[in-house]
Formats: sequence, structure tokens, C-alpha cells
Amino acid sequence: MNMLAHRLALRNLLRHRRRSGFTAAIIVITLALLTCFQGLSDGGHQAMIQVGVRMGLGHLILSQQGHAQDPSLERLIAQAPHALEQSRAAAGSLARHVVPRLRFSAMAQAGAQQIAVTASGVEPALELPVSGIADARAIIVGHPLPVSTAKASPGEAPARTGLPPLVLGERLAKALDVRIGDRVTLTVKPLGGGEFARAAFELHGIFRTGIQELDAFWVELPLEAAQGLTSAAQGVSHLALYLEDERQLAALQQQLQPLLEARAWEAQAWTQAAPELNSAVAMDAAGMALLMVIVIVVVVAGILNTVIMSVLKRHREFGVMLALGSSPGLIVRVVLLESLYLAGTSLLLGLLLGLAAHWHFATEGLNFREVFGTGLEAGGVLLPERFYSLLKPLKLAGVATLILLLTLLVSLYPAYKSGRLKPIEAIKHHA
Amino acid sequence: MPDTPIFQAHGLHKRFQQGSLQVHALRGIDLRIDAGEFVVIAGPSGSGKSTLLNLLGLLDSPSEGQLSFAGRDVSRLSAAELSGLRRDSLGFVFQAYNLMPVLSALENTEMVMEFQGIAPEQRRERSIRLLQQLGLGEQMHRYPDQLSGGQQQRVAVARAIASGPRVVIADEPTANLDSATAIALMELMQSLNREQGVSFVFSSHDPLVIQRARRVILLRDGKLVSDQAQDPIERPEARERARRDGEARHALA
Repeated sequence: MNMLAHRLALRNLLRHRRRSGFTAAIIVITLALLTCFQGLSDGGHQAMIQVGVRMGLGHLILSQQGHAQDPSLERLIAQAPHALEQSRAAAGSLARHVVPRLRFSAMAQAGAQQIAVTASGVEPALELPVSGIADARAIIVGHPLPVSTAKASPGEAPARTGLPPLVLGERLAKALDVRIGDRVTLTVKPLGGGEFARAAFELHGIFRTGIQELDAFWVELPLEAAQGLTSAAQGVSHLALYLEDERQLAALQQQLQPLLEARAWEAQAWTQAAPELNSAVAMDAAGMALLMVIVIVVVVAGILNTVIMSVLKRHREFGVMLALGSSPGLIVRVVLLESLYLAGTSLLLGLLLGLAAHWHFATEGLNFREVFGTGLEAGGVLLPERFYSLLKPLKLAGVATLILLLTLLVSLYPAYKSGRLKPIEAIKHHA
Repeated sequence: MPDTPIFQAHGLHKRFQQGSLQVHALRGIDLRIDAGEFVVIAGPSGSGKSTLLNLLGLLDSPSEGQLSFAGRDVSRLSAAELSGLRRDSLGFVFQAYNLMPVLSALENTEMVMEFQGIAPEQRRERSIRLLQQLGLGEQMHRYPDQLSGGQQQRVAVARAIASGPRVVIADEPTANLDSATAIALMELMQSLNREQGVSFVFSSHDPLVIQRARRVILLRDGKLVSDQAQDPIERPEARERARRDGEARHALA
């Protein structure tokens, strides 16, 4: 009897090819688009997070307790080399990189121009794999900070003035009206108070990140020079940790907890350190979720429409079956199976089409500027021009399962009503 | 003839609402039909033929009176029990054939046996044999829309008797057929009744059909006005003509 239900369900779908095909096409197209958009959306989010994290944040930022609220030079992590070793040991394999940074406010001066900036003392060799600013591709004029202050590496221009090097953002360079090789003076209030300290640097490179905050107000200099200028000795304001897998953030935080307690440090995740970026990602994800709900409603409504049309047209057939002694359960099964076959086949085709599109964008990437004629900025972060589709199989499987379950749910009522038809009335029905 | 009749009706009334009007379709029918009978319920349109057949087919329940099927009071049976009785003990032939359009002639014939849970090989073998007996051996894999009206009604007869019912209920089975095909169908039902002992109760207002029954129950305005046995007319020449018509149609198909 089960085979009869399958046969009737399948053949009825094929009997009304146009109706079934139209519904299937709607489901296939919407699901394919959803799969494709979901991949691009998640890929875009990952790119945004990577950009944000690479532009100086790190996935997790360790600092002395209270530094997040009061980022002054009074709250530094002392003995940076030792702290670095301790952090690396505590993080183990979860963190791919740990880098020290000394961040402070300063006044940058070049000629008659003076601008308040955020200066960051960094170890260029450690920054190379993790920082967008250290990346030579971000430098539009000049060179990145040399990895060794003693000896320039190939491709790194030696300082002409003998002054320590410094790189700054494109907009800041414009505002200060400086060019490569020009002298830039930083003035700070050093650790322990007292007189302002001042030091001159040679402009080594100008970077462009697309992030307003960095391009207009950010200066990077070697850590040692920064520590000298601020009298911070071996102190650093942050230890930035970069994860091997960004989903391991909570695990890393938990693993570092004993060290944080022992050293009276605090840890700030990138989601807290860059709330605008986090909100932008969350907002975009919420928009995508809304789109997904709309797609699910469209798909389920399409199936419901087809099922209701099909059931109404076949009252007479169901009436005959019931008159001949069919159980109501068989009629219910026929209607439910029709929905399942229609939804299942369409979902499968939609997923295949969507996955093909995903495969294209996952390998070739999407050049947002090329397609839409403008860059995409969210949370102060400019997306890279080309980003790649990223699909989370569990999420996709969840959506497909949800659609199947909803299909069953919305088909239950027409199926139940069909099984409860009075044969004598149903037989008289004219479709 | 067994003691327990297939149908026994006492004072059957049927009333139903038609818009604001209450229709009194049956007005106190007393009736007994035994196994092996070949009965026509005749009468003009609106006389209550179909209403009575619906009651006998256990598709509807009387407003008043008592109806028993094989000794069982049907008013005491649940919907599931009535469904089971229809499946196992009754066969139906409808005026509009009512074959399942997505099933072939063979599959339509098998359908009720599938409801009964008969093994696939057994029901297939029985269906093929029946369709061959009814002259549809060549058409058994065709779908209803590929068959003529007469062929569809023969498939309906095959479906009705394949499950081994005690009685076949046929509501104006020849109404949509031309005369020759109608006569051929009647002769087919007569031979099934005669040779296989299948009981038939059918309705008609066509004299050509009525004169082939062994018993004629005449209804008028919901009342049974006569119930008479008769010698059915057998017309070998009509059968021969119907056979030739069938062959001609087959040749043209």
C-alpha cells in the first residue's frame, strides 16, 4: 500500500507538469540564490573580520587591568619579552601569533602642521604575518617599517637621515603635507609625567587601509623607538593574539584565564575592541537571516499553494478511493508524499545550483567594486575589493531541513482534510 | 440461496437539505436482496435510485429505518468498519467510470486489492486474467485517457470484481455509453453473474438495460412501487454486433 501512495504522489506531480514545474522552479531559484547570497554574506563577514583584525586589533588583546577604560601609559604590561613568552606558552597551539604593541597618543608635527595621532610601537618582524599595515601591499608610497632597525632587508630603503623610521596613513600624510624622507616629530607626555618628550622620525612609508581611523590618525614606529620616546622601558600596552581558527576565541579566553588572573591582566575580544565592526557584522547577518525567513516563507507558500490546488482538484479521486475502501491514512500519505517529493527534489536542485554558484565565488571571488561600482564599507572597515564565498554546511543543512519540516507541517492540514472527505460528497465534486 | 440476505432494508427514509429546501428522497423502502441476484433499480430521474444505491453501497446512512448488510446492522458500524466492508465485500462501478487517471488499466484493476493487502504477484496475476477475460488484454498498460468510454467502463468492472466482492453496486453504468457498448457491458455483467456468481445491483432508466435484469425494483418519488422478477432478454445478435463494433474501433484506434 505504501508503494501505491508513492506511485500516486509521484505520478500526480508529473501529471501536472506545468504547475509542479513552476513551483519547483520558484523553489530552485530562490534556494539557489539564498545559498549563493548566504555564502557571499558569510564570506564578506569573514573578510570584514579579517580586515578589522589585521588592521591592528588582533582576535584577543591582552592588557593591564583597567587599560581598556583608561588607556594611559601608567597601565602597561611590564617586561614585554617575558610577558610575550608567558602568553605564547599559555595560548599554546590556539594562537598562531602573539605580538607586543605600545600604543599611545601623540602630537605629530611636520613643518607648521600639527595633528593629534595614535602612535603604535611595533616589532615589524612580528607584525608582518598579521598586520595589514605591515603588508607591503598597503604601502602606497615608500616602504613598510624595516624588520630590523640595524640592517635593512632587500627592498627596504635605508634611512637617509639616520632617524628612526615611521609610517603613517595617506590622509595624515596629506594633512601634514609630508613626503617620503621628510622629518616628522612626535611629542608625547612620557610615563611618570614630567616634561613633554619629543623625538624626530623619518617618514619611511605611507599606507592606505581604507579605514578612516587608520588612514587619518595612525602612525606606526619601531617598538624600541616608541619605548624610548615614552620612557616605557620594556613596557607594552597590548599583547595581541591571532587565532589559528577564529571560532576558537572562547576556548582561547578560557585557556588564558589563569595567566590573566596571575598577572592582573584583562582580555578583550575583537568584538569588544571593535564594537562598530561587530555590530555591522551582526546587522548584516540579521539582514541575511531576514532574507532567509522571506525565502522560506516564499518556498513554503509555493508548496502550500500547489498542494491545495492539487488537493482541491482531486476531491473526486480521493472520494473514489475512499468509496472503494481506501483508508484515510493512505490519502494523507499521498498528499504528504507529494509535498515531500516536490520540496525534496526542488531543494536538491536548488542546493546544487546554489553550490555551483558558491563554488564559483569561493574560487574566483567577487569583485564588489567591479560589479557594483563602489566599495563596500561596514563598521568603519572597507571590504577588500575581492572577497570569497564561504558556506557553513550546518547552516545550509539546517535551512533545508527546516523547509522540509515546514513543508510537511503546512501540508498536514490539506492532507488531513483530504483523508476526512466524505466519499459520497467528494465523488460528486467537479474539479 | 443462503438464508442471510446480502441486503435487508426496513422502512428506509432519506432526507437531506438542498439549500433552503428539505428533500425527502426515500420514503420508507423495504427491501431484501440475496446473494447471486442481478437486480436493477429503475425509475425516472429524481425517483431516488442513486440515493438508494448510496445507502446499499454503505456510502451514506439512512435518516430513518434499518439497513443490514450480510446480517450486520450498518448503523452500528464505525466509519472504519464501513470502509473495511466496502473494501472487502463491495465493488463499485460508477456512471463516470472514475478510474484513477494516473494509473494504468492494470494498476486500476489492482488498486482495491492493494487496499486489501494482497501480495503483488497474486493481485497482478488476477488482474491480468480478468482484463483478458474482459477483452482488455491488449490495453492493460494504457491509461484511462487512452481508452474509449466502453473500455474504461470495462476496466471499472474489472476493478469492481477483482477484489472478490459479494456484490457489485453500479450506478447507471451505461449512462455514458452508446447503445452497442451499453448492451455489451450488460452482457458482460450478466455473464459474470451467471458464471462467477457475482451479485449485481445497478440503477438505470434505460429500457435496454432494464430488460436484461432478472429482477426489477421500480422507484417513483422515493417509494418502491414494484419489485418484480423477470426473464432477462438475451440477445446473441446484440452481443455479436457489440463485438464487431469493438473490433472496428480497435482497428481504427
